[in-house]
Amino acid sequence: MSLARRGQHWGTFARIWHVYDAKWQDPYRSAKLLKDYLMGLYKPIYHPLNDCGDHVVVINSKEIALRGDEWRKRVYFHHTTYHGGATWTLAWELHNKDPTLIVEKAVYSALPKNLQRRHTMQRLHIFPNNKIPKDILENISNQIKQLRPVPVRLDHIPKEEVDNFPQLLKYPKDYVLR
Amino acid sequence: MAFLCRYIKQIGKSLITFEPTRNISLSATTCLREITEKKENNVLTIEAHYVPHKKEHLQLKLDSKACSLCATKLNVKHTDVLILSQFLRSDGCMLPRRVTRLCDVQQKRVTALVAMAQKAGLMPNLTPKSSKKNPKRRRDWKKFNMYFDEKTIKNRYRNY
Repeated sequence: MSLARRGQHWGTFARIWHVYDAKWQDPYRSAKLLKDYLMGLYKPIYHPLNDCGDHVVVINSKEIALRGDEWRKRVYFHHTTYHGGATWTLAWELHNKDPTLIVEKAVYSALPKNLQRRHTMQRLHIFPNNKIPKDILENISNQIKQLRPVPVRLDHIPKEEVDNFPQLLKYPKDYVLR
Repeated sequence: MAFLCRYIKQIGKSLITFEPTRNISLSATTCLREITEKKENNVLTIEAHYVPHKKEHLQLKLDSKACSLCATKLNVKHTDVLILSQFLRSDGCMLPRRVTRLCDVQQKRVTALVAMAQKAGLMPNLTPKSSKKNPKRRRDWKKFNMYFDEKTIKNRYRNY
């Protein structure tokens, strides 16, 4: 067996730790991506009874981006089982309380609903910022590619680049710039 | 009413400054037309000539007669702030079609894209004076990041 093939072999059977930067990413679309890594679906040896899932460390969960008006339209339901114990929390209110909870709930609901789900969730580590504890950081060996590029604010683009950008608009001759 | 207010304000101004009021301005610092005064032997010559725009050399040269966005066939997204900011005034207002010279479809599409970019807080330096410049200091849900899908733009104004 060649050295590269041997490495591939080890990688398949080892529990790999992946890191995912959730900055400006949709948590519900990311959940579908992270599910494959948590369950080990991408491995050739995958089988539902085969415990081959990986660890995923999600960072910057406070900086997630929801689509359109979902911050004020998506509602999280909870019932205490007591009479009148139902609460409906909007996504932005939940994110104010705990910036990791939206990602956690998104991944939890993306996973198949079986007895394995809570054990699979144990392999998901979510942090609101980019500070990872040292014992977790030293395991990480792979980074998952972000779904969409992080948009850059206009005032964060260097002035040289803004000034030298090709112009599409031609002002009329007597136009007064404002 | 607005006219009356302006009239009263002008009277008040003239009382303070003792200067005759002028309704037309002779020169502006950012005008594309410059006015120069020359004095030679008691002859004062006042000249106005057009000043080339600073970014004239960066202008795209397009052969097509279509509007600039149609001619370049760009698929503009709401995150392309360098393109969108060209169609804006310094307070973040969309320029009229007479100035942008876009076709009807593109003008409406760009207007929608600009609204998306402003809501996502991608152009905080092109906003009215009263707005909070840092998007993270907005209220309630507005302080969190949001993105938009260009497919939500009305079907007619989609170009892909």
